[in-house]
Amino acid sequence: MKLLEYEAKTIFAAHGIPVPKGMVIRSATELAAHIPDLPPEFVLKAQVEVGGRGKAGGILMADQEDGKDRAAELFDRTIRGVTVREILVEERLAITHEYYASIAVNRSSKQALLLFTDSGGVDIETLAQERPDAIRRASIPLLLNRIPSFMVRDLLGSAPKELGAILQNLYRVFLVKDALLAEINPLVTTSTGVYAADAKLIIDDNALGRQGITQNRDLTEREREAEKHGFSYVELCGDIGVIGNGAGLTMATLDLIEYYGGHAANFLDVGGGADQERVMHAVRLVAADPTVRVIVVNLLGGITRCDDVARGIISAGISQPVIVRLAGTNEAEGQRLLAGSGYQMMGSMEQAVLAAVEAVR
Amino acid sequence: MIYGDRTTGVIVTGATGKQGAFHIALMNDYARQVGGRGVVAGVSPGKAGQEVHGVPVYSSIRDALREQDASVGVVFVPAAAAGDSVMEAASAGLSLVVVITEHIPVHDSMQAIAFARLNDCAVIGPNCPGLLSPGEIKLGIMPVHLSSRGHIGVISRSGTLTYEIIDQLSRAGLGQSTVVGIGGDPVIGQTFTDVLERFSEDDQTRAVVLIGEVGGALEEEGARSADIPIAAYIAGISAPPEKRMGHAGAIIEGGEGDARSKIKRLQAMNVPVASRPSEIPGIIKNLI
Repeated sequence: MKLLEYEAKTIFAAHGIPVPKGMVIRSATELAAHIPDLPPEFVLKAQVEVGGRGKAGGILMADQEDGKDRAAELFDRTIRGVTVREILVEERLAITHEYYASIAVNRSSKQALLLFTDSGGVDIETLAQERPDAIRRASIPLLLNRIPSFMVRDLLGSAPKELGAILQNLYRVFLVKDALLAEINPLVTTSTGVYAADAKLIIDDNALGRQGITQNRDLTEREREAEKHGFSYVELCGDIGVIGNGAGLTMATLDLIEYYGGHAANFLDVGGGADQERVMHAVRLVAADPTVRVIVVNLLGGITRCDDVARGIISAGISQPVIVRLAGTNEAEGQRLLAGSGYQMMGSMEQAVLAAVEAVR
Repeated sequence: MIYGDRTTGVIVTGATGKQGAFHIALMNDYARQVGGRGVVAGVSPGKAGQEVHGVPVYSSIRDALREQDASVGVVFVPAAAAGDSVMEAASAGLSLVVVITEHIPVHDSMQAIAFARLNDCAVIGPNCPGLLSPGEIKLGIMPVHLSSRGHIGVISRSGTLTYEIIDQLSRAGLGQSTVVGIGGDPVIGQTFTDVLERFSEDDQTRAVVLIGEVGGALEEEGARSADIPIAAYIAGISAPPEKRMGHAGAIIEGGEGDARSKIKRLQAMNVPVASRPSEIPGIIKNLI
């Protein structure tokens, strides 16, 4: 789950990474009430979980005079389709230099990957392509609880030594917060010190429980409903509903729909143990999306009981047609039940997908 | 055979849990069918002295190894304890541990895999269906009825999609040497590279099917190092960026690892890539 900038900054500050002075407001009136406490010039930053916020108009400069109006203006905007509910009001820093520092999970090395560059404030992916040498890297096995000093020296190069403490503290945050990514871009120096001018922190969804986070905000309402049943569910833009077991098989079903020129309305992986109850909930959840015109059910498993799955589909009692591919135990019984209730049964996933694409054409 | 055969003794951690007990029975059914040793011990702390489907249960892997001869572990314990189970297996001297458990925090996986490496223990998974060498050994939860013994190796990040492809291979008369589900998480122990290295040294295996997904670059890394003919299928060509498709691993990060660029990179290495699972048997027949 991606944290908002001010949430990440609160955590960074608690771990010894200085951040600019700031406050969070939820309305323009709230800002007006605090005007006397604010510096003459300040920054308004929309708190939205989307990338490229600055370019999309999510950051405004303001002063004592126009602060309230500028805040109202920002609350009225949507940033890449996301409504602005909270604004971080921050002091304006007199920046002397910008750096970039991040720590991420690296799949290939199975270690933490540290990136540092003195060309901060830029898009790091663009920099990586255009000037890969400008980015210094270090890999740390998670068995270490700190960054060895030689690595810190290698990373910093000629950058000020006090940034080393920031890197160590960022690694602490990465470890204790179960982070997939902890990033400061830009990390800035001013005449008064070093600050994380922006902050990004992504927490591992599998660790939300032990991090004391009860609700994953990254999910839509229907996705959250799906999560309650233990389904992986993603909303897409097409008209063919998809239910599968296993992420790979479900993705392959989506790909096959695209291959034959159709468009999937969703991705729904029922996970292990596709019994009657779970299948019924899955079918109802997918059918509740008004854009869904037909549903493909593609279930394959050694121990999946096809008769249970058939009963689940039938008991969902939905209006859209359902095309089913089932393989497992009691296949014949499942087939008989479905045929008796007017559902289409297909022998392979390819046939099922073709039939669904034909049905909406 | 890679990783194990009929003579391999297996220890299951989380033996008295619902999943553990259920799959001990299935693994030993298969062992009986093929004349293998199968699961010789179960481990569940505090449950020593019990039996699960005739298999003796011990409190720790060390205790089990005092009375039983085994070299491979299979982990079914819940996510919060799974990392520690891997480290216990590695520390007790097992040479391979297969982790079926899903939803393990990625930091736990990274630590456990690094620790296992220090103890020369290979980790398959987590969040994987395990492996199956038809006629020899089953480690994990793969259904056996779709498979047949032969000369094709299969390496996959998926579960059920693997079964789909095994089924298609078997129907086309292409039996399998070993099928390895390496797991759907972002950080996994044995990668395509490691498994391909074993397949290259395996006399039984003539070609390998690589079943990949969006996310990361493990497929390309494996293909680059492969010393054996390979064919690939990559799931997730229709996956939107920044969306998680079930597997924690199947997420495209900032344009990295999307299916189309992955397929392009594989093709640039002269690896034939199937655009549908049903094309795989045909491609493999051309390779051998």
